[in-house]
Amino acid sequence: MNAWLQILDTAGALLVLLGAAICLLGVIGMLRLPDVLSRSHAATKPQTLGIILVLAGVALRLRTGMDFATLALIGFFQMLTGPVASHLVARSAYRTGQVQHEELLFDELDEQLTDGRQPPGPA
Amino acid sequence: MSRFLRFSFRDADLPPMSCKVGRRGRVLDLSLIAWLTLIWVLLWSTLNLANVITGVIVASAVCLAFPLPPVDLGLRLHPWGIIRLAGYLLYDMYTSGVRVTRQIFSSTPHQAAVIGVPLRCRGDLMLAAVAVAVSNVPGGSVIEVRRATATVFLHVLDADRPEELEAARRQVWRLEELTVRAFGTRDEIARVAEPPPPPQLVAGRPAP
Repeated sequence: MNAWLQILDTAGALLVLLGAAICLLGVIGMLRLPDVLSRSHAATKPQTLGIILVLAGVALRLRTGMDFATLALIGFFQMLTGPVASHLVARSAYRTGQVQHEELLFDELDEQLTDGRQPPGPA
Repeated sequence: MSRFLRFSFRDADLPPMSCKVGRRGRVLDLSLIAWLTLIWVLLWSTLNLANVITGVIVASAVCLAFPLPPVDLGLRLHPWGIIRLAGYLLYDMYTSGVRVTRQIFSSTPHQAAVIGVPLRCRGDLMLAAVAVAVSNVPGGSVIEVRRATATVFLHVLDADRPEELEAARRQVWRLEELTVRAFGTRDEIARVAEPPPPPQLVAGRPAP
């Protein structure tokens, strides 16, 4: 094994480690942040960055064209499905009254949703 | 007497890039089949003839079993736009990770807010693409998308200062422009080239 391959392997390992660390940060954020909506930030954003770094690291270690394409596909679907899941969680949290409205600075959705009717409280 | 298989380049009645199968006339979107086949081949991780053939068969079967309405989605691919969007997303995702990390470990409680951002594009696909792009970058996670007015509602984590909210709005508009320039039709691109909607539509609210 020549030096370049070793460098690639090491860089790949570092990227995997970094990605895993960032995913861990997301989990810590889930524990520390106060409410559903804030937690959904922590659950999606570091996660996506983390998984892309892990995939890049794996790609550096595998180094074959077809595996690279498969990893790109994984990344693509991660970026596509993560937001959908987090949107659904946020939307249902909002509509079932899991959001402390008084803790929000202001809320433009509430004005449009209620339109002078009853505020959406816990049913 | 109609033939079993008719392609759109022979038959002007069909939508572009599609073919009609059988007497009942099920319309298959050839670009969708090509995309599904590509995914199939990538999932198997080997490119050979058998995989491509089974991929086409599976894709056609899926399209026949779960038919989609034969409408023009308004999806166009602009390679340079896609590269720019991907670069911007990657850079933003990095800053997003850093920002969320800082918020996680900050000891002072932050103020969150829900803001509505009116978009300029109107197509369903473009709305969805913008919402997905916005969710992947810092600033907001999408709570609600209103289709009639093309407005996305975002939850912004640190909204302590009004500039932060303005920055979040500007970023959504910037992303919208990049997304539409990557995937949109000419109409939509012309629409996002215009300046964002005037602030009184968004800012008519009590100052924080």
